[in-house]
Amino acid sequence: MHELAKIYGETLLLDKKFSYCPGCGHGIVTRLVAEAIEALGIRERTVSVVGIGCGGFSHHYMEIDAIEAMHGRAPAVAVGYKVANPDNVVYTYQGDGDCSAIGLAELLHTANRGLPVTTFMINNNLFGMTGGQMSPATLEGQVTSTTPKGRDVHQHGYPLRVPEMMADMRGAKYVARESVCDAKSIRKAASSVRKALDCQMKGLGFSFVEFIVPCPTGLKMSVPDAYKWSKEKMVEYFKPQVFKNEMEQNDEN
Amino acid sequence: MKSEALFLKNAQTFAEAMVRCGVRYHFAYPITPATEVMKHTAVILPQYGGRMVQMESELAVANALAGCACTGKLGATSTSGPGMSLMQETISFMAGGELPCIMLDAMRVGPGDGDIVGAQSNYFQATRGGGHGDYRVIVLAPASGQEIVDIMPEAVKLAYTYRTPVLFVVDGVTCTMTESAIFPEAHDYASEFDTSSWAYTGTGDHSKRYLLTGSYTHAQGEELNQRLLAKYERIKEQEQRWEEIQVEDADVVLVAFGIHGRMGQDLVSNMRAEGKKVGLIRPISLWPFPDKAFENLPESVKSMLVVEMNHGQMLDDVRLAVNGRIPVHFLGKTGGDMPLCTLAEMTAKINTLL
Repeated sequence: MHELAKIYGETLLLDKKFSYCPGCGHGIVTRLVAEAIEALGIRERTVSVVGIGCGGFSHHYMEIDAIEAMHGRAPAVAVGYKVANPDNVVYTYQGDGDCSAIGLAELLHTANRGLPVTTFMINNNLFGMTGGQMSPATLEGQVTSTTPKGRDVHQHGYPLRVPEMMADMRGAKYVARESVCDAKSIRKAASSVRKALDCQMKGLGFSFVEFIVPCPTGLKMSVPDAYKWSKEKMVEYFKPQVFKNEMEQNDEN
Repeated sequence: MKSEALFLKNAQTFAEAMVRCGVRYHFAYPITPATEVMKHTAVILPQYGGRMVQMESELAVANALAGCACTGKLGATSTSGPGMSLMQETISFMAGGELPCIMLDAMRVGPGDGDIVGAQSNYFQATRGGGHGDYRVIVLAPASGQEIVDIMPEAVKLAYTYRTPVLFVVDGVTCTMTESAIFPEAHDYASEFDTSSWAYTGTGDHSKRYLLTGSYTHAQGEELNQRLLAKYERIKEQEQRWEEIQVEDADVVLVAFGIHGRMGQDLVSNMRAEGKKVGLIRPISLWPFPDKAFENLPESVKSMLVVEMNHGQMLDDVRLAVNGRIPVHFLGKTGGDMPLCTLAEMTAKINTLL
């Protein structure tokens, strides 16, 4: 492991066994975040505020301080932390349930407040940890354990697009949606993670990246099928794009 | 800044006292009557290099406070009634996470949206741990502006010594009263506590730390609860606070906190002047409840009267402390134009017990 650390750096804890299910997209995003922290050289002053759900495990694989917040409240915790300790880099790592169901108010107000903190929203389109219930991101007609006949939009509303709501908020400076469903998308996602943290380091304002990730267990699909389904169905509705990048005027790169 | 006397609404006194003792970050959401605190800190905190941060809800308030506490720095909040209810989940979180902070509940009439007039209706919520799980927070109930000032350094020390939220509960009458208080020279007690062994400040000077109040192993969960239990036992043993007046030969002892406790001081001197042997126990810490004040009551005490601005909440703790040895009576009301029992009503009730 010591040799591997020479290649991968000290942020990612390579000897730690993942508790994510086989094929889970969280593993990809966790690695992207760890690699960005390593590349930016901010490990020693980075603090992760994780949500409740599978994303709560993410910090266990990184040599950084972490706070496991109450369900949905990670952005508010990040705000309080950043106010008291503005020199540190603070990011929240939350699922779609944590971000867009129970924690939507905290997320949107944090985006609008514009304090330089970062939210990574890992959208696997259902509540994974509790066994695959409908989340705000569940697609119309999709069968889950709480929508046995498929999501009925007349009863449950439509799948909720989150970064679109932030596009008009002046406090949000970098807002993107990425996918980790194929290699090309993962490379783009890696760039967004780095930009989001860089946006915070420059003190510009709030930064946000949503990731479309497959949850084979929750979707009750094989790993290849889950990736294929997410790439086709999820990405069709939740289109990856950079909604906002107001870093250019300050970005030499 | 030298010692000085200020004539302030007691909510403002609370704001001044906590800032002068080292609180640098105040998170709040407007709610009557606690709003006065945030109006005041918005003005004074920048002078101390701090900030009042108005949040979008009391849910956000409590969680921002938790985030602030994770840095090791001292934050505070102030709220009333429904706002306090919204914060309960996070108070449980902060108790479990052993995070220090200062809180104020300016108690008003409930339940539901309630009424903005003062009450003492949140005694149970404050002292039982209104959130989930086996936890307590230290609860202090000052009865005047001066006592708010005098007890604030203690509150900061308690918060850091035991790494726990310290909750002030002030009835709405005391909160909105305007009176003089003498402030000692400002002193930042908070920064005197070394938080480097636990604060989540980044791995620059320590190996990975994480705040875990859930998703632990079953063994870790038991260990956390055992550690908390041991801490609460220490607090119960060492931190009971109360005032007592002329209990030593009393026939009847009045037990009251906050504004009723303060009225009790007058009541005792008035009735003693008439030759009536009345004493007062005024709990200052509501949790830990001052059981010790009731342990060795003199033989002369025939009965006790608890007076509260509610329908009998501290009454339970007095009965537990007395444990059936002495009859405990109750006088109290809540709601209406002024839920306060008058001195005449309290006196009349005690006369029936003498």
